[in-house]
Amino acid sequence: MKIKRKFLAIITLLALVQTFSFSAANKEDAATDTKEITVITHRTDLVDNLFQEYVKEFNKKYPDIKVNFEAITDYEGEIKIRMNTEQYGDVLSIPKENFPVSDYPDFFIPLGSKTEMEAKYEFISDTEYNGNIYGISTVGNAQGVLYNKEVFKKAGITKMPSTPDEFLNALATIKEKTDAIPFYTNYAAGWTLGGQWEAQAPNLAGDPKWSNYTVPHEDTPWAEGKPYYVMAKLLWDMVSMDLIEDDPTTTDWEACKGMIAKGEIATMLLGSWSIIQMQQAAETLGIDPGVIGYMPFPYTNKDGNMYANVGSDYQLGINIHSKAKNSARLWVDWFTNESGFAQHESGIPALKGSKYPSALIAFQDLGVKFFQNEPSPADEVGLLDEIDAEAEVGRWSENYRMRIVEAAIGNRNETFQDIMTDLNTKWTKARKTLGVK
Amino acid sequence: MKIHSRILSFLKYLSVITGSLIATVPILVVFIASFKSDSEFLDTNALKLPENFLNFKNYITAFIDGRMMIGFINTTLILVISLTGAILIGTMVAYVISRFDFKFKKVILAAFLLATLIPGVTTQVATFQIVESLGLFNTRLAAIILYLGTDIIAIYIFIQFMEGISISLDEAAMLEGASYIRIYGTIILPLVKPAIVTVMIIKGISIYNDFYIPFLYMPKKSLQVVSTSLFKFIGPYGSNWEIISAAIIIAIIPTLIIFLFLQKYIYNGFTAGSVK
Amino acid sequence: MKNLNYSAQRRILIICFLFVPIVLLCTFSFLPLGNMIYYSTLKWNGLSKHKVFIGFANYARLFSDSEYFSVFKVSLYYLAGSVIQLALALFFATILSFKIRGKNLFKGILFFPYLLNGVAIAFIFLFYFKGNGTLDSFLKFFGLEGLIQYWLKDVRWVNISMVFTSIWRYMGFNFIVFLGAIQSIDSQIFEAADIDGANKWHKFIYIILPSIKNILELNLILSVSGAISAFEIPYVMMGGSNGTRTFVIQTVQTAFVNGKLGLASAMAVVLLVIVLFVTIIQKIYFKHNGGNEL
Repeated sequence: MKIKRKFLAIITLLALVQTFSFSAANKEDAATDTKEITVITHRTDLVDNLFQEYVKEFNKKYPDIKVNFEAITDYEGEIKIRMNTEQYGDVLSIPKENFPVSDYPDFFIPLGSKTEMEAKYEFISDTEYNGNIYGISTVGNAQGVLYNKEVFKKAGITKMPSTPDEFLNALATIKEKTDAIPFYTNYAAGWTLGGQWEAQAPNLAGDPKWSNYTVPHEDTPWAEGKPYYVMAKLLWDMVSMDLIEDDPTTTDWEACKGMIAKGEIATMLLGSWSIIQMQQAAETLGIDPGVIGYMPFPYTNKDGNMYANVGSDYQLGINIHSKAKNSARLWVDWFTNESGFAQHESGIPALKGSKYPSALIAFQDLGVKFFQNEPSPADEVGLLDEIDAEAEVGRWSENYRMRIVEAAIGNRNETFQDIMTDLNTKWTKARKTLGVK
Repeated sequence: MKIHSRILSFLKYLSVITGSLIATVPILVVFIASFKSDSEFLDTNALKLPENFLNFKNYITAFIDGRMMIGFINTTLILVISLTGAILIGTMVAYVISRFDFKFKKVILAAFLLATLIPGVTTQVATFQIVESLGLFNTRLAAIILYLGTDIIAIYIFIQFMEGISISLDEAAMLEGASYIRIYGTIILPLVKPAIVTVMIIKGISIYNDFYIPFLYMPKKSLQVVSTSLFKFIGPYGSNWEIISAAIIIAIIPTLIIFLFLQKYIYNGFTAGSVK
Repeated sequence: MKNLNYSAQRRILIICFLFVPIVLLCTFSFLPLGNMIYYSTLKWNGLSKHKVFIGFANYARLFSDSEYFSVFKVSLYYLAGSVIQLALALFFATILSFKIRGKNLFKGILFFPYLLNGVAIAFIFLFYFKGNGTLDSFLKFFGLEGLIQYWLKDVRWVNISMVFTSIWRYMGFNFIVFLGAIQSIDSQIFEAADIDGANKWHKFIYIILPSIKNILELNLILSVSGAISAFEIPYVMMGGSNGTRTFVIQTVQTAFVNGKLGLASAMAVVLLVIVLFVTIIQKIYFKHNGGNEL
């Protein structure tokens, strides 16, 4: 009996300790703005080199602000755990997955009104809620296909493929005439079959309203002829026609960079951010970085045009609990307007009127039309992600595309049509559960 | 010698040698990779020997850019404190359980087992809130206290050893008027030394290699530990495997030395040196 | 202390010695567990301030769709693997506690893989299993080209490869625990057995096994529960793809990919119940077969 009582006492004590420390933490207030900020980033590869140079530049202008970095490897997972408390730095990349804009006001300070920010920056509608903007884009990416120019020349391909069939033909020619792997899936890395593919889908629709106005209101986005279907079919065909690497399960993301530079890989489907990395790999190997080419997704719309969707990478936001909001704002503005980060990433800067990077100027020369997605109507903010989560499809995750690869190899007892039907069924059901018109 | 026992002896050696080969071959890949330059690494087969075994560039990069020195200092601090604590806690619980009969004894032991069975991945959100509310976020204490926690394996190992210690030793001491705490400190603790070493090694290694807790609970740069320095070279868009390989080897060296140094304590067995 | 009688001392000691461990246990294991059970009754993405209480709806969803449980088939591989792992560990621990040349060297080598961390292991085994990788080269060296397979691409092999990696990584741990336990056996017992003319097999069956029964039982329980909740190796190496998805991988993906922390918590609770159930059955079995109270 005694022990039991003691046990209860311990639990009570524990609860007391906790309430006490809770209230203690709350008592600290943000009366004075400190001059030291912590920036949380997912770029573990840049915190110790490029970002340190940025800090030096920044300190020339604002000598008394100290900037610290915390880099997170599993960004989406960890930052969300931390955001359940107040401990998520001063400046941070706003997580993207399953985090609707409607929740932004609980976590970030508004950076300005829509009208005022719109005049100055690209991609701001992504973080707009009730007329306020909560984040500024670090860099915008265009979506297309990486290729090795030498391999294409060797295979005798002179015209850029502009339909999935032309693309498959080109890959078949490459397989026949060269030793290169026609298309490298990067299956093992996982993420390479996730967002990299999903972000291309609007290219096929060629419609700024497709993502947020069409998809949430249709029952079968994977029906024949629709953008998701066409992309999935291309992936299926490449795998079943043996136009990919011999063993997708042992692909190596690090090695693929050198392989495409050397012409061992002909094509890969990745956003424009990847161009610089392939070029750097080429330089390391003593190869002219000019062999790396970037072409639009091979699909010609009904109007006869090819499109390239341009979307924002992570946006920077400021923690609503920050004790250094002013200093944090100075960093965000400096990073956006003066750091030159977007150029470094061969992407599109958020600051309006900046120059496009050279790889994308080549896109423009081909007559490719760039466009940005229109944000959801105010009463449907977050709806698309909600349906996606309910359906457990995971448009931005790699799961269903990995499943296509596995089935096309013959590792699953399902046909291409089975998978499409299953995705459509899940989508229809989720829309019904949520009562979406 | 009989044929029969010769065959047995042959099989005995064959099995340990096969086991040893399987255990070591995969690690050779890392060792080889650690001496390659980055273009050589991208360009050559993983089993091909490096051009230059004296190429310590990766080691230097790993050690300096990975700030492994800070890592070693923090890791040492965390290890010393949490291991001392874990061993004290483990032996205390084991002593009470193996020597006394009391109510709830089984319940307590079951509670420790239950805690080990909880799939930790999904409780992280709650655990983080608790650590933060205790004001431990971004302090070494966060890692220390989490490592201190429950460890049923350690408790069982201690119980196993304590049951091997004859009760008559305790009784003799009690006749001389020694208190229980004295018996624990001067008789039991010294006799379970081999078990302490086993626990230190097992628990020490899992703490040393863990990167989840330091990453989540102490992301501040100055609090970096050895295991997280590997991640300095793993980026979302780029990883330097040859440098990571060097970092892995650097990280293994101290564990290996400590292991080799301590192994005789494990293997000697405690009966050899104890009071009989 | 000296002035107290032993029964008072005993009471104080029990309370003092158990206080800190129990506080830690409650704070860092059972409080989060309680939270997890609470989360399992919510519709919540794990971040939003808007949590909706939905009672047992998450459990209802889980049990109305058998697909959520089909991944347990993968656990069978790990169950078989953990039996092999324990048998190997016990085998090596036993022969290395008898007389053998190069004893300490072999002990060190067999334990060595346990020194490595998870990232290193994923990296090593990607090279190990890939075409023309470490394993294939090794087989060729011994003229066994015929045995070469697509170790990760072939669905008949991929889970076996995962389990192999898992055994490679954790066997050293069981090995050292068993070795330590065998060392705790009084050497006089072995000497007495020698005098009686017992052979090694007899010593194993009649001395070693009964003496380390508790440790063996615990290892078995932890291995079985570990097999049911296998996670790290298939997650780091394959991301759960190509038929390697386990229940815990599915739980993590539900929480962080699909943004359903409520449903994921319900899955974790169900998993815990399953593990507990299996553990209790094992406990009963051991008790039935004459194990002691621990």
